[in-house]
Amino acid sequence: MSEEKNSYEGSISSSYKNKELLKNTISLGIIATAGSFFTWWIMLMIFTDGLSISGVVPTEVTYLLFIIVYSVFITIIVLIYLYNTVYVKNFSYKISEDHLVIKQGVLTKTVATIPYSRIQNINIVNGVFDRIFKTFTVKIETAGSSAAAASAKKGIIRPEGYIPGLKNPKIIEKKIKEMMTKFSAVPSGLEDKIFKPEELAFDNFISYILSKMREGEKLKTSITELREKANFSAADLAEKVGVPLQTINYLAEGRYNPSLALAYKIAQVLHCKIEDLFKLV
Amino acid sequence: MKFKKKIASRIKQFREELELPQKSLADLVGVSRQTIYYLERGSYNPSLTISFKISEILKKPIHDIFYQEPVIKNILEGKSLVELREIAELAGINLEKLASLSEIDDEQLSKDFKEDSLTKIAVGLGIDFKDLFEKETEN
Repeated sequence: MSEEKNSYEGSISSSYKNKELLKNTISLGIIATAGSFFTWWIMLMIFTDGLSISGVVPTEVTYLLFIIVYSVFITIIVLIYLYNTVYVKNFSYKISEDHLVIKQGVLTKTVATIPYSRIQNINIVNGVFDRIFKTFTVKIETAGSSAAAASAKKGIIRPEGYIPGLKNPKIIEKKIKEMMTKFSAVPSGLEDKIFKPEELAFDNFISYILSKMREGEKLKTSITELREKANFSAADLAEKVGVPLQTINYLAEGRYNPSLALAYKIAQVLHCKIEDLFKLV
Repeated sequence: MKFKKKIASRIKQFREELELPQKSLADLVGVSRQTIYYLERGSYNPSLTISFKISEILKKPIHDIFYQEPVIKNILEGKSLVELREIAELAGINLEKLASLSEIDDEQLSKDFKEDSLTKIAVGLGIDFKDLFEKETEN
């Protein structure tokens, strides 16, 4: 029996740093280019008379200007790339029993622990640059978080849970939604349709009480006979069906009427029909 | 690998064949009309005595009236084609194979599907693996 995974962990794709690189290169590139031309134009104004175009910016100065601007530009881009490489490396998320844990940070490491009961909304977004690299960002909105309020003040609207650079956001979305339904106040419509072992125990308990109340309705059972035919001990049968030994014993004594589900399970295990196991008297 | 099953009923079908209204069936069995209603919807697990009584009145054996249905069948039938395509893609199988889960039996399940794909399908449907499937125990 393989062990059950109680939590689901992951990290983000390195495509994120490539995407950020492209995005920053283009935006900073535009700024650098526009800025240098603007500076050059200012310098032209300084060197000329204003109206006459007799003056000209010395070539050395022009070259120097562009070299300075673009060196700074390239340095910044390289630093951003290195920063994002570490960012991707340090980024991890974990979907555990009661919380979503997001670990991130390059210089300052942050660990955000978000309880599922607090999650209001999950959004999946992808911008222009995301689409080129096929990455997505999952944004998790929570109720009344001070972090969200604080960052909204700064103008950077970052929801409490923010996972960028994901190739397959759907898996995470579904996993989180799964955990959310477990913690929500309203049970999912499926609860009463699924045959769970806990319900079986409860079922049996109710059946026992009801049968005690219904004097005139007894079932005759051949459970012991059929069990022995199949070479099962009472304990074996109890284990295979998933009920306590006591239950099997009570059934055998005719002390109580099982639910249909339990009868079905027993019939399955003993390879017989329900009508063979029990008869109405 | 087996399907996790729930008890579904064909009470309504057999009742209508006999042209028996819910109230009459309820009186004959000795329960409220509400009970018959819930039994027909499959929202509740009947006791064995009630099952026997219904079987007597409808003149059909219990295993014809009440049958075990894989939980996943209802769930798959509630999904749109788009959702099913998504889930199939997520699990790395084609749409027809995913749809076949509504039709096949336990034996076929073990033959056609790996636990890995089933896990992904459970995630895709948003339901716990253990509510949809059971691992084989030595029988």
